Formats: sequence, C-alpha cells, structure tokens
Amino acid sequence: MRELELYFGPQHPGMVGNFSITLKVEGDRILEAIPNPGYLHRGFEKLMELRNWVQNFPFVCRINVIEPDSMEAVYAMAVEKLANIQIPERAKYIRTIVLELGRLASHLFGAWAYANMLGFDTPAQWAMADRDHILDLFEELTGGRVYHIYILPGGVRRDLPDGFEEKVMHFLHALASKLPDYNETFFENRIFYERAKDIGKIKKEEAIEWAATGQVLRATGIKHDIRKIEPYFAYDKVEFDIPTRVDGDAYSRILVIRDEMLESAKIIMQCIEKMPEGKVYERTPNPFKWKIPEGETYVRLESSRGELGLYLVSNGGNTPYRVHFKTPSFNHGLFILPKLLKGASIADVGNIMISLYVVAPEIDR
Amino acid sequence: MDEELKRKIEKIYKDTEVEFPERNRMVVKTKKASTLSILEFLKKEGFRQLKAISCVDWIKEGEFELIYHLAPLNSPLHVMVKIRIERKNAETETILKIFENAKVYEREIYELFGIEFKGNPDLSPLFLENWHDLPPFRKDFDTRKYVKKTFDEIPSVEDRNERT
Repeated sequence: MRELELYFGPQHPGMVGNFSITLKVEGDRILEAIPNPGYLHRGFEKLMELRNWVQNFPFVCRINVIEPDSMEAVYAMAVEKLANIQIPERAKYIRTIVLELGRLASHLFGAWAYANMLGFDTPAQWAMADRDHILDLFEELTGGRVYHIYILPGGVRRDLPDGFEEKVMHFLHALASKLPDYNETFFENRIFYERAKDIGKIKKEEAIEWAATGQVLRATGIKHDIRKIEPYFAYDKVEFDIPTRVDGDAYSRILVIRDEMLESAKIIMQCIEKMPEGKVYERTPNPFKWKIPEGETYVRLESSRGELGLYLVSNGGNTPYRVHFKTPSFNHGLFILPKLLKGASIADVGNIMISLYVVAPEIDR
Repeated sequence: MDEELKRKIEKIYKDTEVEFPERNRMVVKTKKASTLSILEFLKKEGFRQLKAISCVDWIKEGEFELIYHLAPLNSPLHVMVKIRIERKNAETETILKIFENAKVYEREIYELFGIEFKGNPDLSPLFLENWHDLPPFRKDFDTRKYVKKTFDEIPSVEDRNERT
C-alpha cells in the first residue's frame, strides 16, 4: 500500500487545542507521528526576564489556559522561597481550596473534551455546565472567570467572601449527586469502554523510563503524587487517597481522573472544616522596588496533569534572571504521544492525545 | 541515604561538588567531561526519571549552565546536575543513551540557546519558523529591539486613517 503524509490539526475536529501532528500513514495504520508544536509560542519565559516579580503574574497564568491556578501557585511558591516569605496559615488553606477547585474545573474540561471528541454529547455538555459553576465561584472569589491572579507572593489577594464556603459545599454535593449519571452515560458506558479499553497502552516500566507523571503514571499502578511525597500548602493536614489503576490504557487514565475528582471534593470539604481564622496576606515590598536576593530554586506541585516544576533564578535584581517551567504536557505531548501513536489507527489519534491530557499552551509557553 | 550518596559521588568523581541547599534538594556540580558517567551512576542509584533540562545564560562569565533535573519515584529527593559550558561554539554530548526523553529538551535548548548536542539526531526547529536571528533566549538577544525592527514598519491605525 502507498505511504501517505497526513496533516492532523490544528483545524481538525478530533484535535483539542492549537497543536498539530504530521502523520505518515499506510492505509489506516500510522507508521510515524511527528508532533508539531509552536502555534502558541509566546516566549513567556523570555518576556518574564524583562518584567518585575509581580508584573509576571498575568503571563504565568496564561501558560496553562485550562488550569491557571496551579501556574500562579508554583510561581508564587518559588518567589516566596527565594525571598524567604512565610505565608499565613489561613492563606495556605485558601490556596489549597483554590487549587482543588481548579483541578476539578480542569478535570471536568478534560471529560468534556474526551466525551465530545468521541461523540458522547450529553455527558460532555453536563461536564461543561458543571465547570461553569466553578467559574461562577471563581468569579465571585477573584473577579475573573478563567484567569484569576488571586494567588500572590505573601498569600492570596483577599479573603473569602461571605457565604462562599456554603456555595462551594452546595456545588460539591450537587456534583457528587450527578456522579451516577456520569457513570451511566460516560465513564462506565459500554460503548465508551469498548472505545477506550486497550488504547494507548503504557507498561509500568515504560512509564517510569519515559518520565511520565500524573494520571499517565498512576494509571500504570504507581502511587506517585507530589501532594504526598512533598506536601505543600495544607496538603499535609488533610486526608486523601491517590487513585490508581493497573492497565495503563486510555480507559484507566480517564478512571483515575474521575476518582481524583472525588478526592478533590474530599480535600476541599476538609479544608473548609479545618480552616483557621486570621489574615490571608503577608505584606510584601513595593513591587517596583522589590529586589530578591541572589539564588536559585526548583519548586514543584501536582497540577491536574502531573508534576509541574519551576526552576527560578534570581541575580539579586527586581526581575527574574531565568524562568523555566517544567510542564507535564511537554514530555507527554512531544515524547510519549508519538511513541503511542506508532501503529495506532487514524481514528484513535484524538483518543490517545486527549487521554494523555495534553494541553498545547503548556508545551509552547 | 543522602549523606551516603554524597560521599559515594565525591569519592568516585573527584572534580564534583555535592550540596544540599534546602530540604529534599541536592545540587551536583560537575565538569562537562563527566556528565554522562555521573548521570548513568545516578540512574543506577534510583534516579530513574529525567524531569527536565534547564539552561541559564551567564553572559558575564561567558558560560552557559545546563541543569539536568532528576528524581526517583520513591523518595522526595530532587537532584540537579549542573555543568558549565563555554558560550563560544557551545556544544556538549547528548545524553540520549541514558535518558531517551532528553531528545525534546535538547531540541528545545538548541533552538532557544543554540547549544549543539553532539549525537542527537533531531535538532530541527521546535517552536520558531524561519528564524535566522540569534537564538532568542540568549541574554544578548534584545527582545525590544527585535519588536521595534519587525513591527515598527507597520503604520499605526491613526497614521493609516490620516492617509485614506
């Protein structure tokens, strides 16, 4: 059969995000897949070298459009570490709540993308609608729906508004009550099971060797979560499990995502219960005169896609000297994706890509 | 475990310094020539995942610094192996043989900093298209000058309105 070159994305219904893959196909089989990023390359890491420590927040949150809070948190953590700032106890709990709400929103968006791509329109619309409730909560808390710029070095921008806790609890209960419906129409649906089972399979050893993180690693049976091995904020004061599966295929990954949503809800409820009173913000110097001592640090946290790291270098000035984000999608999308696509069929390209949870702006930065 | 590892490394590699700047972080400063063997040693010690490769341009010293981030799965220790290379004709050996996923990181650094990785078969452009200028993440590449040069030729909206 003749070998053909096929351009998959960025304008393709099976592609979520600004990303494209060049496929070499023979009939329906993929011989080789070459990911082609760069559609969203804005050079943020370079631009951040020209702006002061606080001015960089609007850039940072735009690196991951779907889950901006973890980006803000990792940058704030790094700045706090270099400047040696201790944040108030209440701010730690609020940050944990915000991060977990962000994780829920991101997972619901992921479920939307997956369901929508495979033609499960009803659960897809439900997931999108539920995500919108979280955006409403964020709007009330921060003033912004998608980008919040709420977490700042020193704590969070302002305290929770009156009655916010009740609204969050109400939302979580409503979401939990919908779970049987989601299971029936999507997660445990026979058609979905047939479609995602044994697709994009990764063995345990391969997952380690290929430096997979997040769901991709946990779906192969490895209990690995930064929230447990190096607890930050209030994660050492709450109880939660790390959901895992053993098969390492697309279906296992989506089930890990579903179970993580329940764990997130558990974490938020505990935080609301245990949150102490007090101030939420430690005053930091005037951002235009703020010089941070010379030094370097690597901080990490568990974002909804896996380990998110930031290598930050200061040379004692009022701007960063070098910023480098270690984003989970970079490795998943550029290294693991082509490996999984080799030998797969064209119809499974979107299936595998979304199951790896790749988000393009995180790759390009 | 950490102190033992430090002793082991410093015993085998005489030109290497091991520091613990903060909790759960280890910095291994080494020379370019021993990069491969020290990474291989660390991989055998359980640091099986290459998390990322960072690059810093220390223009005043005339050097690039490469930082290999390694981490094991069962312990919170995070290791940064640092090497310095000359800024002029910057090149170093690829670590593909030890960590396969270094491929994309090396490709990114080649594009953004211009460091050549000998032995890496695919150093094609990753993000940029038709780029003929200096590698853009180097400190001597002036973003503002580039923007002025590229976009100032396009007249502003007011100017265009006046003309028509």
